[in-house]
Amino acid sequence: MDMMGQFTISASMLLTGFTIVFAVLVFLILIIWLYGKIITSAQNRPLKKKKIETKVIEEKKPVTKTVFKAADEPVPEAENGLSDEIVAVISAAVYSMYGSENKVRIKSIKRSKSRSAWSNAGILNNTRPF
Amino acid sequence: MEILNNFWNALVGIFRDSGISTLDYRNYIMIAIACVLFYLAIKKQYEPLLLLPIAFGMLLVNLYPGIMAAPETTLMSAKECIAAKGTTQGYAVTILDGVKYYNVPHNAGLFWYLYQGVKLGIYPPLIFLGVGAMTDFGPLIANPKSFILGAAAQIGIFITFVGAIFLGFTEAQAGAIGIIGGADGPTAIYVTTKLAPELLGSIAIAAYSYMALVPIIQPPIMRALTTKKERAVRMEQLRPVSKLEKIIFPVIIVIVISILLPDAAPLVGMLMFGNLIKESGVAERLSKTAQNELMNIITIFLGTTVGATATGVNFLSWSTIKIIVLGLLAFMMGSACGVLFGKVMYKVTGGKVNPLIGSAGVSAVPMAARVSQRVGQEENPGNFLLMHAMGPNVAGVIGSAVAAGVLLNVLR
Repeated sequence: MDMMGQFTISASMLLTGFTIVFAVLVFLILIIWLYGKIITSAQNRPLKKKKIETKVIEEKKPVTKTVFKAADEPVPEAENGLSDEIVAVISAAVYSMYGSENKVRIKSIKRSKSRSAWSNAGILNNTRPF
Repeated sequence: MEILNNFWNALVGIFRDSGISTLDYRNYIMIAIACVLFYLAIKKQYEPLLLLPIAFGMLLVNLYPGIMAAPETTLMSAKECIAAKGTTQGYAVTILDGVKYYNVPHNAGLFWYLYQGVKLGIYPPLIFLGVGAMTDFGPLIANPKSFILGAAAQIGIFITFVGAIFLGFTEAQAGAIGIIGGADGPTAIYVTTKLAPELLGSIAIAAYSYMALVPIIQPPIMRALTTKKERAVRMEQLRPVSKLEKIIFPVIIVIVISILLPDAAPLVGMLMFGNLIKESGVAERLSKTAQNELMNIITIFLGTTVGATATGVNFLSWSTIKIIVLGLLAFMMGSACGVLFGKVMYKVTGGKVNPLIGSAGVSAVPMAARVSQRVGQEENPGNFLLMHAMGPNVAGVIGSAVAAGVLLNVLR
């Protein structure tokens, strides 16, 4: 094969290879992004409905709500952005660790600034490369 | 006296058939190379699951070349056939110059039979089935932009193609050499068996060796192409991916790629089939078999027989040296292009992407992602890039299969 032939083949392959590989993968990005959006919105829809239903029930039965509040302990002071569900989950985890016999009161929940030594050790152990 | 004669004849026969008189110096060089690979696999633990079977196949074929011998048929006269086999019945007859000869078949060597799985392109897709069953595509689904890095790292394949053409290889051979840059052993073997089977031993060994040497080859390139500030970038946590998204992903990928690039369908199809049986959660037994027993069996067969193609006569040639050099260049360029595209993404996103994850775009799962993690942690010990790097890493597997499809389509 002469120099010109080599150059022609090389340039053709470079152009074809780059174009097709990038085009196919960019197309896949679009498809994954699109179906991700569709699935996320489809999965969030029933949750919204549930929330509306709960509100309606609460409005209909205000007595139950009051009774619940009265029996409840003071709500712990939670950092902004933490939902009631998260507070409930953290509280349940703390109670399950200490057991029902020990009386524990959660006063506040704050996001830890840095990982604990145990947490760091765990992450390092799981992600240590070699 | 006759006893001594028989004894002497037996000794001479054993010596004549032994390796001492049948092997030449190239076999001994290959035995030494196999021992170096043993050292790398056992002591240094570079991809031992692959390197060990390859090295052992290489050792065995250079000690006993008959283990890779193809089946043969010998023409025997009736007398010879009866003397050797006790009968002439059941053997096909050939008549030459009016004389009847019987076709007496001889079995092939063990590895020749096992090698048919490589030659016919059966093992690489089966390996992909296991890889798919072991891979979590969650990081890629959470951040689909990773596909760009997976595509960028394939650039090395096509640049190396150019280098191979100018070094005098044919187009098909150049395509097979370039695919080393994808850093994906099964893909390299699959493409080579279709395009240039005569180069299989050299290309497979080069591909697996570079995959094993990822922790040595990539870090200097990554450090050279990035600044300290870029390497220290902490990336935001990936969004959680739902089970439904993970189940739909393999189905969509296989449909899209098989329609656009049918030549990539065997590899991508099996990869996605493995992933679907894992993610669906309804075929746990199949998933476990694909991940463990099947994967291990195929790895042993593939590794030993690929190693067995590296006989002294085939392997020790100038073309092998050129392939090894070109393969290294392909791999380095793939890693460099991944990092450079990572830098582009760093700029475009205003510093939210750590360019180190770009080098993981060469497949080599999960070694390349682990290298990104390690280099990132050297700069900032609290930085955990592993899951972010897994996105480009698994995108690289799909990207190299797509690149393989392009090469097969254009060059076959």
